[in-house]
Amino acid sequence: MSADRPAETPTGAAVDGTVLQKPVDRRGALTILAGGVAAGAQAVGACSPLSAAVATEEERELKRIEWQLFIQKHYRRMTEEERAETVRRLERHAKLAHDQDVSIATTEAQPGVLFGYAFNISKCKGYRRCVEACINENNLDRNADTQYIRIFEMENGVVDLQDADATYQHEVPAEGHFYLGTQCFQCANPPCVPVCPVGATWQEPDGIVVVDYNWCVGCRACMAACPYWARRFNWGEPEVSAEEVNPDQHYLGNRARKKGCVEKCTFCIHRTRQGRLPACAEACPTGARVFGNLLDPDSEIRWVLANKKIFRLKEELGTEPRFWYFAD
Amino acid sequence: MKRTLAGAALMCTAVAWMTAGCFERHKAAWDDSAPGADTLRPETRRAAILGARLEPGALATVQAAPVEHWKGPGDQSFEVAGRTSEPQAGQSRRFGSITLQTALRRRPIGQYPCTSCHLGRKVVMADRRIADAHDDIQPVHPAETGAVCSTCHAADNVELLRLKEGGRASLDQAYRLCAQCHFQQVDAWAGGAHGKRLDGWEGRRVVMGCGDCHDPHKPAVEPRVPFRPPQLERTGGHDQ
Repeated sequence: MSADRPAETPTGAAVDGTVLQKPVDRRGALTILAGGVAAGAQAVGACSPLSAAVATEEERELKRIEWQLFIQKHYRRMTEEERAETVRRLERHAKLAHDQDVSIATTEAQPGVLFGYAFNISKCKGYRRCVEACINENNLDRNADTQYIRIFEMENGVVDLQDADATYQHEVPAEGHFYLGTQCFQCANPPCVPVCPVGATWQEPDGIVVVDYNWCVGCRACMAACPYWARRFNWGEPEVSAEEVNPDQHYLGNRARKKGCVEKCTFCIHRTRQGRLPACAEACPTGARVFGNLLDPDSEIRWVLANKKIFRLKEELGTEPRFWYFAD
Repeated sequence: MKRTLAGAALMCTAVAWMTAGCFERHKAAWDDSAPGADTLRPETRRAAILGARLEPGALATVQAAPVEHWKGPGDQSFEVAGRTSEPQAGQSRRFGSITLQTALRRRPIGQYPCTSCHLGRKVVMADRRIADAHDDIQPVHPAETGAVCSTCHAADNVELLRLKEGGRASLDQAYRLCAQCHFQQVDAWAGGAHGKRLDGWEGRRVVMGCGDCHDPHKPAVEPRVPFRPPQLERTGGHDQ
């Protein structure tokens, strides 16, 4: 597959040779074109008065990487080698474009694991420490102040999200109120997945619904389909400084996103696939968040589901969220 | 010269009594066994805990006592993070990270063991000094229920907790004391619905003890100012 891609070495000879001698698919042709463009840019750069500004080796490499990222394959169709190559390219891009030393994993789902989450509405006091941890952990856009988690301040005795306040700023907990947090529920029947016209979002075997940010075309159909406001759109280029970036990343999770793509909570895929807790669960100072493997009958999450009164949001829609609420 | 030194030591002790809570003093005995107890200064240690990235092996734990109805999920045994568990600075960040809200309590002052004042049932210091020494305790919790110090603390050895049935529990096993009244909470705690699990969702189950979140003398959670709100209340085109 990657053998017929001489465009990685952008020399005119290789380009001509491949085009003339081998049948080339559309993506392959674009890749070859990339080599041509890079070579052309080099030639133009050499005689341009701006050459000093545009023609450093690093800038040329960045341009080349950006083009390769633009035309790369769908993540699920990549071979092991192609994934490794893509990740290496993304890490290099983070270094060149943002001076960030990051490490991007492609860890697969563990067999026999299906993630579930439970949220204690008696315990949550609305401190939003989970929101803070989520922003830092998942490299959320500091410019637009993207937040995956919403904490709703609810009047006692009423579960009415439409009139609940998620923007409270007073000292919490407020008298006569309880707090209910929402994020992506990783539904077993996710309405956001089938509406995607390009197949850029799907559900992994451990239940996490993910997005290939490079494949996403930004149509936002998934956002319209989600009944829980779980997805976020990048209206601008996301900004995270090199000092603040979390270098522990996953391709399907908290790696750098681009302008014009949709993102969402992934239950901290880079952490949970290593046996760790999601950042929100770990940060919660009240212990309101319970996370674990639904397929393990001895897990805490299963104990909660078996022993507590539980409910899910908009259950009548049949989305089957893997995120339950419970009370003491 | 000797006398001056002794005087200075006494002064220091008195000052420490004024500033440090009894909780620290009462934990003096078990703090000695904390990893790096004698190498880390309190400030360093506190910073280490607040920014802690713990390796699973670094957690000191005590096995939860097998009491009939509060075993963990699936009757599995579980471990309670001991009050001795002190992460050391510079742990790898690839493993479970923890931010403990109770870091101040863990400040070690091993040089002031309870026995320097409490000798058996006798209290050596004068009454007024005792009041000063314990003035940071707001005994909301025992006072409301008409309890006194010796309801929970063993009078003849204040480093131990007194159980209703006549037994003793170390401060690492405070949950045995709490469980005597708060049986519902302890049930939920043992099951995983109350309290907090450390380290990760997989592997050995290590949970925080009651005193890691609750001040035993004032257990209610205090109001706080929340982290900043979102700029948009909702997203996704439902009301924007």
